[in-house]
Amino acid sequence: MTTVMSKSVSAPGKSIIEKLNVFTAVALGAISAIVVWRLSLAFLPQDADSALIFSREDKITLLSMCAWFVGFMTGIGALVGPFRWLMGKDLSHEENMFLAGKDMGPKRYFRYTTDHKVVGIQYLFITILIFFLGGTLAMLIRTNLGTPEGGWLHAQAYNSIVGTHGILMIVGTIIMVTGPFGNFIMPIMIGARDMAFPRLNALSFWLIVAAAIPLLWGQFIGGITTGWSAYNPLASQAPLGMDGYIMYICIFAISTMVAGANITTTVVKMRAKGMTWNRTPIFIYGTVASVALALPAFPVFFLSQVLSAFDRALGTSFYNTKLGGSGWLYENLFWLMGHPEVYVILIPSLAALMEMAPVFTRRPLFSFNVAIMGIAGISGLSVLVWAHHMYISGWAPLLNAPFMLTTELISIPTGMLFLVLIGTLWRGRLWMTMPLMSIFALLWNFMIGGITGIYLSDVPADGFLHGSMYVTAHFHYTLMGAGLTGALASLVYWFPKMTGRMFDKTLSWISFWMVQIGFNVAFVGMFMVGLAGQPRRVESYAPTFNTANMVTTAGAYIIMIGMLVLLYGVISSARSGVKAPKNPWQAKTLEWTVDYPIPLENFDVLPTVTSDPYGYGKAQS
Amino acid sequence: MNKRILGALATVVLGAGVIAGIGTYVASAKNDSTVLAATPAGTMDTPQGNLPHATLAISVYPDSSAGSHGKDGGAHPGYVTYGPSTNFEVPAHSVITMTVTNYDGGESLNNDYFARVRGTIDGSAQLNGERMTSISPDAVGHTFTIHGLAVGQDELFVSVPMKAVAEEDMPEEGFTTKPNVTTFTFITGSPGEYVWNCEYPCGDGTIAKFGAAMSTMGYMSGHFTVKG
Repeated sequence: MTTVMSKSVSAPGKSIIEKLNVFTAVALGAISAIVVWRLSLAFLPQDADSALIFSREDKITLLSMCAWFVGFMTGIGALVGPFRWLMGKDLSHEENMFLAGKDMGPKRYFRYTTDHKVVGIQYLFITILIFFLGGTLAMLIRTNLGTPEGGWLHAQAYNSIVGTHGILMIVGTIIMVTGPFGNFIMPIMIGARDMAFPRLNALSFWLIVAAAIPLLWGQFIGGITTGWSAYNPLASQAPLGMDGYIMYICIFAISTMVAGANITTTVVKMRAKGMTWNRTPIFIYGTVASVALALPAFPVFFLSQVLSAFDRALGTSFYNTKLGGSGWLYENLFWLMGHPEVYVILIPSLAALMEMAPVFTRRPLFSFNVAIMGIAGISGLSVLVWAHHMYISGWAPLLNAPFMLTTELISIPTGMLFLVLIGTLWRGRLWMTMPLMSIFALLWNFMIGGITGIYLSDVPADGFLHGSMYVTAHFHYTLMGAGLTGALASLVYWFPKMTGRMFDKTLSWISFWMVQIGFNVAFVGMFMVGLAGQPRRVESYAPTFNTANMVTTAGAYIIMIGMLVLLYGVISSARSGVKAPKNPWQAKTLEWTVDYPIPLENFDVLPTVTSDPYGYGKAQS
Repeated sequence: MNKRILGALATVVLGAGVIAGIGTYVASAKNDSTVLAATPAGTMDTPQGNLPHATLAISVYPDSSAGSHGKDGGAHPGYVTYGPSTNFEVPAHSVITMTVTNYDGGESLNNDYFARVRGTIDGSAQLNGERMTSISPDAVGHTFTIHGLAVGQDELFVSVPMKAVAEEDMPEEGFTTKPNVTTFTFITGSPGEYVWNCEYPCGDGTIAKFGAAMSTMGYMSGHFTVKG
């Protein structure tokens, strides 16, 4: 790309697109919310005393949050392109270059920038922020549970913290790989100049930022007291904070759908010449499988929350049994998203580690085809298991056995991925880096998470374990022990390409061991109290569970220290780490063929792929 | 010390400080932070002997313009509420006499169990000066029901129904001049932490009337602490 920004772009009298940034977005969002709030207060009629459902406060809250959303997205510049297109005058080349952030320096990170590398860094920043907030809430939970009687936090605040921690971490883990690395690395890895729809790429990121405020807002108007699953009709009875949850999920679901369509199209249509499906890196398969699963799952989640909003604000009764609705409808809609979502989180992390395994063992990936079959098998089965969350809900008991079967079948393709990882490590020349150790950590953690999941998939065992801390420990072993481990390894592995500097080796090791030791201490303790019968989501508990809870709390503090060391590692390595060579790991995928700083359009000449990405030790590889 | 290690340690200290700060803020931000302590009132003869005596006087209001919700009823002026506080502190191993003045109307309970007086001395209470052991489940305004885990602390379960104010006595504006006054007496054990709530579905405008005031602490529920 040879075009450069002309002086007139930054001169006085600049166009609207150049004036918009995150500050104008926040200002316009806040003004819109306040105006709509005042108007709603003035003009919306009071609820009749005889009304079955009082909905005025919910209407005011939801309208104000919608106004925030529209104002924010307008203020960031998301509507400029569509508006100009509708007017029959699309953006000029100069304006597109401005949107791409060309020659703009750090300011581009605060704008509606379309360059996939900028979006990747933006995603990395917001993922770290989400994990910091979610982790802080986890520490509050564990501190409160340090003693049986609890009481440090107000009981209602505790409930809200549990719900907010849950939904923050779910969103954080969904975006932790496909966000930063799917955006920054993936297009270069397939030899593309950018994503298929760069403006949609920026849109998907800024939607997440826009979604954050309603969630925060909700904390000050009663909180999210239902847990992250927000079951109805419990959620319909909950305070106004639930409206924040509803808006957060609706906006995030749009973001996920947009990102899913964009990533899928990019991979299908924009792979480099010669990059046949057999030569496409496994990380790409993982990313596509993840977003492809999200594509059908998140519209259902979106719908579940729209209906929830209707019940709260319009007096409908989709979930109100008394008026003809059904709480089971919500449970089905929620888990139709909720279980594929587990694999939306896990598959990219597993795929990233499979991507790294050949690099750090200097061996080809053990059975590329089995890896793809494993990913495909998990993806296919994951949409057929949702009702194992509802065994004891009373919904369709006759379906318990089929759902038990599909759930247990999923261990077969999961086993295939284990086989691929172990087969790659077997007799490899191990390069003992933090990413390689993360593969061992994943195998350990995911083995525990997977085996305990088999007990939960079993109907009789689930009757005892359901709703206990055992479930909490199980899903932390899968989402955190496996998912987060893969994401942290990805950070260290691709850090040189994203920042031009190596991640500090000592800090990566300290962080790795503290997080892994702390994690296993924390969640083995949680398994113990769960097996002994401690229910989850409780603010206080019987003294008999105290010792294991103390162990869990101690483990959580160790994780906190490890994560803070990692945070320092990110900041200090990005600022003053050792400058990275072009290909520090001697890997064979395309992202390592470009120099840092990476040009705006990645490649001067689009590459042609002639070999297998894992052909270590093979001739002509 | 190595500069990197020092920087990491500083980040840990700073991060832990931020987390502690957020925790302290959340822990102190309670919408029902006021506590009403029982007033000592000498001693009283009970089936368990002569015990220290203390009294508590509270009310139930049809909206939040009374109670502890501040000027104009606070965030939810329409919510029914107990007051002047919803957190109570009483002495251990004592006899407690509570007086509840109910200014609110009511209808039917979901569960007739709570129409009977339970957990008081001799299982009775005084309603407007007359002894009673239960009221009609269709004429209950609210209940005052103390629960608590029996693990690690003495069991305490007290549940007393409050008679609803008759519909014809409920004014359009302000509070009725004909409230129903219920007095009951019970004995506390060793120190412990308990919760109390109303069992009458009074969260108007929500599904099954168990939302709104019923699901927001500081209105129809709170803490009941027995102190040593």
